[in-house]
Amino acid sequence: MATATSIPLSRAGRRAPPQIKLNLARTIIYLILIVVGVASVIPFVWMLLTSVKDYGDVMSLRFWPWPPLGNSTPRFDNFAEAIRLIGVDRDTGLPMFFRHILNTLLVTGIIVASSVGTSVLAAYAFAQLQFPAKGVLFILVLVTFMIPEELVLVPRAVMMNKNYLNWYNTIPAMVAPFLANAFGIFLIRQFFLQVPRELYDAARIDGAGHLRYLTSIMIPLAKPAIVTLALLEFIWTWNEFRWIQLVTASSNMRTVSVGLVGFLQTDGGAQTQLAMAVAVMVVLPIVVLYLFTQRYFTEGITTTGLKG
Amino acid sequence: MIRKVLPVMATLAVFAAACATPAPQQPPAPTEAPTTAPAQPTEAPAPTAAAPAQPTEAPAPTEAPAATGVDAITLSKDKPTEILFWHRYSGDAQKFVESFVEKFNAENEFGIKVTIEKIDGSYADLYSKINAAIEGGTPPNIAQAYQNQASFYRLDGNVIDLSPYIQSAKYGLSQAEIDDYYPFFLESDKNPQFPGEVLGWPTSRSAAVLYVNLDWLKELGANEPPKTLQEFEELACKASDPANERYGLAWQNDISNFAALVFANGGRVLSEDAQSYAFNSEAGVESLALLKRLFENKCAVEIPSAERFGEQNRFAAQKVLFVMASSTGLPFYADSVAKAEKPFRWTYVMFPQKDPNKPVVDIYGASWSVFKGTPEQQLASWLFLKAFTEPENIAQWAVASGYMAVRKSAAPTAIEAVKNNPRYANFPEAAEAYARLYDMVAFGAVEAPVAGYDPVRKLMSDVVSKVAIKGEGDIKAALDEAVAQANEVLKENAPKGY
Repeated sequence: MATATSIPLSRAGRRAPPQIKLNLARTIIYLILIVVGVASVIPFVWMLLTSVKDYGDVMSLRFWPWPPLGNSTPRFDNFAEAIRLIGVDRDTGLPMFFRHILNTLLVTGIIVASSVGTSVLAAYAFAQLQFPAKGVLFILVLVTFMIPEELVLVPRAVMMNKNYLNWYNTIPAMVAPFLANAFGIFLIRQFFLQVPRELYDAARIDGAGHLRYLTSIMIPLAKPAIVTLALLEFIWTWNEFRWIQLVTASSNMRTVSVGLVGFLQTDGGAQTQLAMAVAVMVVLPIVVLYLFTQRYFTEGITTTGLKG
Repeated sequence: MIRKVLPVMATLAVFAAACATPAPQQPPAPTEAPTTAPAQPTEAPAPTAAAPAQPTEAPAPTEAPAATGVDAITLSKDKPTEILFWHRYSGDAQKFVESFVEKFNAENEFGIKVTIEKIDGSYADLYSKINAAIEGGTPPNIAQAYQNQASFYRLDGNVIDLSPYIQSAKYGLSQAEIDDYYPFFLESDKNPQFPGEVLGWPTSRSAAVLYVNLDWLKELGANEPPKTLQEFEELACKASDPANERYGLAWQNDISNFAALVFANGGRVLSEDAQSYAFNSEAGVESLALLKRLFENKCAVEIPSAERFGEQNRFAAQKVLFVMASSTGLPFYADSVAKAEKPFRWTYVMFPQKDPNKPVVDIYGASWSVFKGTPEQQLASWLFLKAFTEPENIAQWAVASGYMAVRKSAAPTAIEAVKNNPRYANFPEAAEAYARLYDMVAFGAVEAPVAGYDPVRKLMSDVVSKVAIKGEGDIKAALDEAVAQANEVLKENAPKGY
């Protein structure tokens, strides 16, 4: 009996906790990461806190004006006040902020769908097919990747003008330059190149053509890369300012980022808490989307060799 | 079949991508990049991306109809003339200008129909948009423009000279009306590079002033705001307590603030004949040296450009004694101090001078410029400007926007409105400051109304940042180098033959 109770339980029934070896180099790396992480989060936290502060608390530079450190109450009505101040769309009677949201969703939806679709098709061609001048064409694609936006901004805007396409102040003008995107082609192609050729051969033996192989095998395999691209496109489009500002004339055609800048660009001064309330509302969809797709995003970044 | 179609689709996608923009590859630019945006956007000429710098032929003088030509144009309600007006006003100013357009459209006898569009963004964004529209052949008929921007538009004749319209017997202004405008405001829309021409119409003007916490000043033993630069420096340093994050001066690295300092030291930003930049003069050196001392001795704190209007918050929180800023901020300072934990007495005053008997004040503001259109559109645009600046309208505009009334007869109404505004009930000194603002007009100076001033502002801003704030390099050498580069920009953007 005595022998039975003397058996050490730890070895028989428990898994030993993983041992993290901390050496100096690793500690320094972690410390740097923590500092960078905190520095990245602080502006966001400041924005969130300021968005529900009273104007007086903003003016008094109080970081936490609520209990237990202060007596103020959170001002959630800042959001409603900011929306009121942005104004109303005369055409629809909608608050302009919601009109901007609807415009942004429409523009973003079109661009993400189109850009992902064209990127997948082109990437497949570059990774899997053989056709004349393939290398040259791919270089051409990469060249567009390297042209600074500032160089093409004005010529593109001119193209939208009534003397050319006559798309000024329309949805086509807002989305046209972004319907296909060299970066997306490059990203997906990199992923497709990692898929073993044998998979294609096996699919061919089973009777699959290119489209079936792409939709049934390559796209499911490339899900992390595709989600990554979709998320990046979403963020870029959601935040796009200069182009939309250039090709729109009326406020009710604009998107949230342009509306936000218009709200922030006051003469003489600003009510910071209201500006931050608008900023929170603009940023929130991106944060929520990122939280839901974080796993794919991380996987996509690591598997395609993409680095920020 | 599919096997054939797919490569075709893929190839088409490649071509589409090749023809498409690489824009989304880069995260969007910050809403206001510090280097290209006005650090203090209240009124200061907005630094923008460098404008295409090409020497350009001076516009043909016959482009705008001569006075008799203007008189010959007829506008009628039977044949309405449509014009487009781009602006970037917000808040009460936006509401006023929109309601004015509505009223003007309904009441004007000429059948002019103005369409008003707000351009969300900074002056730099508006400038970019106008340039793109010019390239596309569809500029607006009227737009807000700083004098240097109007000069740039004028290089290719895109902005018209308003003098034939002003002088028109039928549609122009009488001598009495012209005399009713503050002469400095009218002069500020002229550029020596385009002799005799008027490139914009003044609607909005404000001054670089010094906001002062009067209670704090009293604690320091001073009975009145500083009048000389020496007093200013002494008080700023006396007030500073870096351990408690309290400083004498809040400094936004906005070049209009530096220009105000150069003026206060008796210097100029641009030579009188607009042939060269002059901010490397003794006055420029003294200005930069003063700033350098203030930062070295921890008497000043820099407000990062990303912290928009951060100087107002710190002023309200009594963290800074002085702020150099535009007079347009008056209502915002009133609101912020009223909401502060401990409200206090404050005002703004003329910026301290090297020689208070010969003051010079930086006065700035975007004008409304008229772009090339049909003769009818150009005339309609002028008539709109003329109506907007009628005394009763400009007085209301000054009240709504916080700018100075540009006509003498409108000033008393604007001053009275500020005096009676409940916002200033607890700040009588601030309300009085608005009245004194008009006394400064006589000492007004313009920074540089020449094309290409925007990139020059960036050069100046870099010098201030490097030499005064970071304490690197030699003052004179840095200013000389900046002026040499600025003169190149000036040369590149000058009308041919100038």
